[in-house]
Amino acid sequence: MSAPSPASEARNPGPSWGYRFLRIADRLLPEFVFKPCRAIGTVVAMAAMPEQRRHSRDYLRHVLPRRVRLLDVFRHFFAFEEALMLRLRLVNGRTIPCRYAQGSDAFSEWMDKGGPVLLGSMHVGVSDMLGCQIGGVHHRRVYIVRQRVGNSHDTDQMRVLFGLHIEFIWVNDPDQMLFSLKEAAATGDAIAMQCDRLGHSARAEAFDFLGAKRLFPFTIYHLAHIFHRSVILSVGTTEADGTSMLHASPRFEYHNGESREDGLNRARAHFQAFLAQVESLLRSRPFLWFNFVPLNPTVQTDAEPASRIE
Amino acid sequence: MADPLAQRLKHLIVETLRLEDVQPDQISDDEALIGSGLSLDSIDALELVVRLEREFGIKITTSEESKMALASISSLTAFVRDRADPARLA
Repeated sequence: MSAPSPASEARNPGPSWGYRFLRIADRLLPEFVFKPCRAIGTVVAMAAMPEQRRHSRDYLRHVLPRRVRLLDVFRHFFAFEEALMLRLRLVNGRTIPCRYAQGSDAFSEWMDKGGPVLLGSMHVGVSDMLGCQIGGVHHRRVYIVRQRVGNSHDTDQMRVLFGLHIEFIWVNDPDQMLFSLKEAAATGDAIAMQCDRLGHSARAEAFDFLGAKRLFPFTIYHLAHIFHRSVILSVGTTEADGTSMLHASPRFEYHNGESREDGLNRARAHFQAFLAQVESLLRSRPFLWFNFVPLNPTVQTDAEPASRIE
Repeated sequence: MADPLAQRLKHLIVETLRLEDVQPDQISDDEALIGSGLSLDSIDALELVVRLEREFGIKITTSEESKMALASISSLTAFVRDRADPARLA
């Protein structure tokens, strides 16, 4: 499959040794010592990341029913750090049981039976662990579309751990990525991709989210049409009992013979319903939106059916 | 006289990508298909490649190959004629 492209330095500005350090510290230090250390580290990270702080505050303004305080921003950063820590613990060999939220039958059925599906996810909670849960526990082979960044240690380690079941397709070379997707689609295995950041998405459309019409990647549904695949969207959260909870959409089925426009209209309704589900989740647990980047841009009118990002 | 394969490919492009404002005859043989000209983007290119593979039994495996094949109708015609299963060219 696609070879990793040069790492992007624009995202994940932490040091390249940071993840290794956290993994080692997690093995050596008791949690009652390590957790306060992580909190202090989070404060340092906050201080060093004014842009991410500003984006966190902007996002929190949309979900908190009150004025955003610095403590809220800290809780947002710390929630991200704790989700990252959970992922690193998974890499360290810890088992994190996964349960299904009500209404996630399509995903659990797919876990049982497998099949060529497109899995869409978002930077919410522990959604990043999904590929590992699928590959590591359920032994389903998944191609994961990701952007390679400077400190991809966790990703590299997951590849080592779940090598037989996880294959990464790097989006850093968009042209070649599409051909890697085509190769992956020919295998009959699942393909997973993020559906919330516009960065490398070829097609975007406007949907209702956090009080406005906002642009979201819509490429996954075009791929469903091209490759004749169904789509299941999901996000993962951590629960108080140490398990993770998977919240999934119903399956969007590709219908052979259906007109493209009819299919896309069904797809729009499917994505909008899932976004409403995610918004509801975020309003009850606001610190789980792990996009420390500008909130998806708003559009003026809903008359515009689609916009392309070259 | 127009090349029948080139005509077939123009129809296939318009039909696959649902180019409502474009008639097959309006696509010139040397017009760039991607980027300028028809303003096709990467998803269009992928869709076209998948359709060409299904229709003619060819394989396009890299972006370089696709750029070469989709440079224009002329280059696409030559590419398909060179690689396609002869039975599917009829």
